[in-house]
Amino acid sequence: MYFTLKLPCTNETGQVYPETLTSWYTLILEGKRLMSFQKRLASNEFAVLAEIHTPKGINITKIVTDAKRLKGRIDAVVVPGMDNGIMRMSALAGGALLQQQGLEAIIHMYCRDSNRMALQGDALAAHVLGIQNIIVADSADMSESDHNEAMTVNDLNEIELIKALVTLQNGKDLSGFDLDGSPDYLIGCSLPSIVDDQQLEAALDTARQKIQAGARYVITPPVFDVTSWEPTLKKIKSLDVPVIASVFLIKSLAIAQYIANSEPGANIQPEMISRIRKSSNRDQEGVAIAGETISALKNSCQGVLIQTLGWEHKLPGILDIAKL
Amino acid sequence: MITAERKPLEEIIEYIKPFKRILLLGCNECVTVCSAGGRKEVGLLASGLQMARLKSGTDIEIQQHTLERQCDPEYVEEIVSMIDGADAVLSMACGCGVQQLAMRYKEIPVFPAVNTKFMGASERQGVWAERCQGCGDCLLGITGGICPISRCAKQLMNGPCGGSTTGKCEISEDVDCAWQLIWDRLKALGLTERYLDIMPAKDWRSGGGSGPRKIIREDLAE
Repeated sequence: MYFTLKLPCTNETGQVYPETLTSWYTLILEGKRLMSFQKRLASNEFAVLAEIHTPKGINITKIVTDAKRLKGRIDAVVVPGMDNGIMRMSALAGGALLQQQGLEAIIHMYCRDSNRMALQGDALAAHVLGIQNIIVADSADMSESDHNEAMTVNDLNEIELIKALVTLQNGKDLSGFDLDGSPDYLIGCSLPSIVDDQQLEAALDTARQKIQAGARYVITPPVFDVTSWEPTLKKIKSLDVPVIASVFLIKSLAIAQYIANSEPGANIQPEMISRIRKSSNRDQEGVAIAGETISALKNSCQGVLIQTLGWEHKLPGILDIAKL
Repeated sequence: MITAERKPLEEIIEYIKPFKRILLLGCNECVTVCSAGGRKEVGLLASGLQMARLKSGTDIEIQQHTLERQCDPEYVEEIVSMIDGADAVLSMACGCGVQQLAMRYKEIPVFPAVNTKFMGASERQGVWAERCQGCGDCLLGITGGICPISRCAKQLMNGPCGGSTTGKCEISEDVDCAWQLIWDRLKALGLTERYLDIMPAKDWRSGGGSGPRKIIREDLAE
């Protein structure tokens, strides 16, 4: 498929690209978002990630259709696992499926449900299936899951899991046995939602430990109000790793009100709620808000993770508004 | 009872290294019964610590006391007058007792002198074995009075695995196969038809799967 380009292209730093003839061809053939997520982070370029959930079941039509729609427009797809407590198809399978569709996948790994053997086994499997991006995610407590009678494992914690992944990269397993071929990962970690400075400090301390263990970028909780978020971002940047900001698609007025009431750290302003309320097309208003938020974050963050919670078909619209 | 074993002397010495005045507290309940932290063990540990400090040439003053129960606020209150004369507390109670002390006396470090092991029973003099994991939903009425959660290495719920040979578990010849014991007992009771009932996957919420547990008796709680 050919891709129309507006020439000349410049990246966020104003540099004209591509620089070589070969890259021109690739660019024209595959679209401009062809650089791997890893390279984009390494070269300080703005990365665009989108979250796609695996199905609760085996119907993969939606995930595949959404993937095709996004190909060439985003850098990588983040596939969460069951860390939010909902039993669904594993992120490993979802990630492999997206890789087959030609998208770069970033999968979540988390500690609640698997012991160190299962986690290491899945991590090796991920590499073999082409997945080299892993976000070590915090998991919801089993009591908040849809299988709350299940046994909690938590054999390792997130910091130990990151260390385990690094150990595998160094050709050993956690018991010190040699691996026959070692994997390679770009490991990310996430920050929990933050209400006050005290919580932020605690979250940053944990993040520092994760970075020391081997995490190389951090994903923030959803940002709704960029202006009031600036001081927080400044502190997060002290971690000295690329910061990817989450941008959450507000699907309805009720959701906006719910988040505003139940997540004080989200900082949803009354003006935003009133903007959605007054809109004649509330769906589109949510898309516009997400797009504008991304635009506003372009110069302050290393990238965005767009969370559309099942409305992945709205992603192209969001990217259009964000001019990405 | 809750069983415990004394920690290695070196580990205890390391904990209290920076401190001179130690309040060494035993407990008269479970740890006395399993000979890990009662009055007698308090005396033995105090002598051991004194000798070790003497050898290293550092002073130590040890106040010894054994509380009736360290897991009960009422008894923990007893040591108010002793706390002031101590730099650190060394508790020979189970983990519950250590935490009760640490919660009540926030200004002073509290160290454990025993490793809390399991809820068990005495098999014979000097031998204690695990009998209960506190899963919060007792199955003993179905399994002939033998617990597959605490006595089967795999916590199997519907009969033995392939590792059960001659009544022993594959992990060790010293471990009886819980399901062999259950079968023998059901047979003796004439209840073998129960064995064929398939037990559903266990609900672990009552077993701590949903976080720290608490019992609130409305009729007793203040």
